[in-house]
Amino acid sequence: MMIPLIFAVLGLLALALMLYFAKGRRRNGGDLDQLALQLKPIDINAFRNLIDEREEEFLRRNLPSSEFRSIQRKRKLAAVDYIWCAAQNAAILIRLGEAAKQDPDPAVSAAADKLLDNALRLRLYAFQVVPRLYLGLLFPGASLAPYFVADSYDAINRQAVMLGCLQHSAREMSSAS
Amino acid sequence: MFFLRYYFWIAPHVLLGIVLIGLNRRRLLSQLPFFFSYSAFEIVRFAALLTINLLPSFSKGQYHWILVLGLGASILLQFGVIYELTSELFVSRSLATALNPVLRWTAAALLLVGTAVSARLAVLGGDRVVNLFHLLDLSSSVILTGLLLVLFLFTRVLQISWRSPVVGVALGFGIFAAVDVATAGFHPAIGSNASITVDLFQMAAYHVCVLVWITYLFLPEKAPVFIGRGLQEQDIELWNQELQKMVQR
Repeated sequence: MMIPLIFAVLGLLALALMLYFAKGRRRNGGDLDQLALQLKPIDINAFRNLIDEREEEFLRRNLPSSEFRSIQRKRKLAAVDYIWCAAQNAAILIRLGEAAKQDPDPAVSAAADKLLDNALRLRLYAFQVVPRLYLGLLFPGASLAPYFVADSYDAINRQAVMLGCLQHSAREMSSAS
Repeated sequence: MFFLRYYFWIAPHVLLGIVLIGLNRRRLLSQLPFFFSYSAFEIVRFAALLTINLLPSFSKGQYHWILVLGLGASILLQFGVIYELTSELFVSRSLATALNPVLRWTAAALLLVGTAVSARLAVLGGDRVVNLFHLLDLSSSVILTGLLLVLFLFTRVLQISWRSPVVGVALGFGIFAAVDVATAGFHPAIGSNASITVDLFQMAAYHVCVLVWITYLFLPEKAPVFIGRGLQEQDIELWNQELQKMVQR
């Protein structure tokens, strides 16, 4: 009787979760200028510094190991903050892209399609990179670094470029409204 | 109880006819061919089972075999619908490619769980065909619920908006599959007479599921209203270039 009871609870939980996730996932309108104002500015240079492999190596060589670990921890947490910020900006871009997709001009609509695609992929990458950073916090040894650096360094550097662009555009949009 | 059983058996399948009309009216046949085929097949399956049930020349065993074979075909079509929903939701091919492994692994893990639990719950010495039916039913419901949950989760995490009929189809299947998971385990555990109550729960859930499909197919879809300047063409191009640089690996 135990297994059916477990399945009953799991089934009801799944139902509740699906209803919760489905709620509010229909297309909604909104104030696009307000949305654009929600784009958060990011200090690109500081972010680049946080994920710089050479900087990490420099700190490793010049600091006592306990101090290095403590600083690395803070650096990674700060990097996580930046990535969340990028993911939130991407979410706003998704909504702005959805609005632009309705534009009667086919060129704008096609461009909005591409923007949506890229913003979605950025959000997906952000959700892949953040757990790795947290894993890096738990295991500060060198074993995780190659994964993170080899796989994500390039992508995060490109994120930094994009985030700079976000910052610039947010300012432009604010001044335009 | 007798009336209720027949009502829950007949009404959803009659309403499925309205679903087919709704799909045709909204010109969704080319977009959701699996869902259309599933709905049509369910009507045919119901008509066949009702006929066999009423004709005395068919035995109980024959009825059970047709029930199981029909369920097998229905499960295949249901997975086709999930494939369809995935393509509809993740219009971007690259995104769908990135998510496909997640869905495949989820399905594989759920298949193992579903089969193991169904085998554990099977009644020793009971009717083999009935056991097979429950095994198929529970396993497929577990996989369907898990996959739909993953889809809903991804749309939430990635902030993807659903188009109205697609939400309806996913939500309907979600309700039906989740109630099936919650109740299917009680079938073999409490014996065939008492399992009528479980049957009623499942049939009622299917009724709700069909009503959800009808609601989403027939309620007018409100176009989202945006105010403000939004992104202009040059902004969009700029974003595209920067995002493309970032997401290329």
